[in-house]
Amino acid sequence: MPLPAKAFQRWLNGVAPDTSTADICRVSGVKRTTLAQQLVRGKVAETTVVSISRAYNINPVAALATFDTYSDLASSSLPPSDKELVSQIATVDLLRAVIVRTAPTGSTGTESMDPCQPELSPPPHATSVKNWVDAIDDGELRHRVSTATGVAPQNYSAQLTANRLAPELAVATSRAAGVGLAGGLVATGLVTEAEAGWPRGARQAALDRLSDGDLAALSGERLQALGKTLRRQEQDQEQTERIWENLV
Amino acid sequence: MSEILPWITLVVCAGAALARLPSAVRGVNPTLFFIFLLATAAGILSIEQFYVAIDGALGGINIAHVVLRLIVFATIYLIAVRVTKGFGAPDAHRMIAGRPGLAMLGIFSAALVTVFLLMEPAASSVRFRDAGAASARNEALLPYYWAAARGYLAYVSLALLPALLRSVKESLPPLVRTGAALMAAGAVATVAGLCLEFAPPQILVVAPAVNNGAVVFYIAGLVLVWLARVKAASRGGHGTSSTER
Repeated sequence: MPLPAKAFQRWLNGVAPDTSTADICRVSGVKRTTLAQQLVRGKVAETTVVSISRAYNINPVAALATFDTYSDLASSSLPPSDKELVSQIATVDLLRAVIVRTAPTGSTGTESMDPCQPELSPPPHATSVKNWVDAIDDGELRHRVSTATGVAPQNYSAQLTANRLAPELAVATSRAAGVGLAGGLVATGLVTEAEAGWPRGARQAALDRLSDGDLAALSGERLQALGKTLRRQEQDQEQTERIWENLV
Repeated sequence: MSEILPWITLVVCAGAALARLPSAVRGVNPTLFFIFLLATAAGILSIEQFYVAIDGALGGINIAHVVLRLIVFATIYLIAVRVTKGFGAPDAHRMIAGRPGLAMLGIFSAALVTVFLLMEPAASSVRFRDAGAASARNEALLPYYWAAARGYLAYVSLALLPALLRSVKESLPPLVRTGAALMAAGAVATVAGLCLEFAPPQILVVAPAVNNGAVVFYIAGLVLVWLARVKAASRGGHGTSSTER
């Protein structure tokens, strides 16, 4: 799935002609052994391209678009929907918004932070991938992605649960949902919202547009999902402890 | 080839027991050390030289073999109790340590001893292999002896198997799951060992490999689970589960 080494070499030649691999690694912070390994295997990870393009002040999304797999990234200019934007706000930030909205104005504590609202933490957050897919899912999305890419639905779901999504799958998901193609790359943390062309403050604006009811309901959903995850982790933990107790 | 297999089994068991000794001295789960110790004892009694010497001390009529089988019963019982508790399988635990389980242990032990007493005394021979040649009655009784000896092991293994296979699929640390898989392999080999008692002679040649394999799989599984704990502890924090990153 990653990028072919040949195409990568060609791209690298255009970006940094006459520069040694060692220099490129030094500037971009890519580990030299990692890059060498990727070149030997003939598959270069998208993260490598992103790191190098950042080092040379190239937009990573535009850089990815020069590769065949991602060529349609260049032509995509759909702005993110409000649902997508809100999905990329961390649960804690949503909860903070609930508190700020429900607290009576001028009450203790919130006053000091009200004028300069704390900035939303940048994506990705702990469940950003799954929240993003849920935000753009019309009920058939997973099915369509699976048909388009040949990735089994359970593997796809497993990636979402682990808050991961291969870049190619992320773009395929956007394509199948008919939304801006870079959205998934933001949700997976491959590129920043600015790099994906999301306007500054767009998430905050989308959050402000949410009605109190929608915000409360959304926060509730997030909390419920968080509770489920935590409970499962606790159960796993308990079970492991029991094994240690009896078998170690 | 079949002469070296018991030695491999013995080395594995003795190694595990030795490795577990410091923990046992500190009072950490001494049962585990005891399990490995029993397995080592069984391993020793499965080797010709030791067997003949020990059986000689017991009168030279193969009483050591009955002792060996009872030691094996005790070992698998202790393993099963630990495993069903550790992997959280109350049903399997009842089938092994509950009333039905203890009844099974009693029945098989009694059957084993009874069949042995019904046989005519035969000269010491490791794995009891020459006992059948001593008389026609012995030859007729020998399959029942082995059925009793392997029957209980197969019963316990069958009771354990579902819990072990379930643990392989659960989101536990990888080493624990590998350990459970190895013990499941041990359980399968144990059941296969019983089936081989009724198999035609031409495939009987694999029996030593299967039976020694069962022991090695069980012990290796226990060791892996223990290593998983060591690994989790060295990574800091205790009982790190695989869901944490």
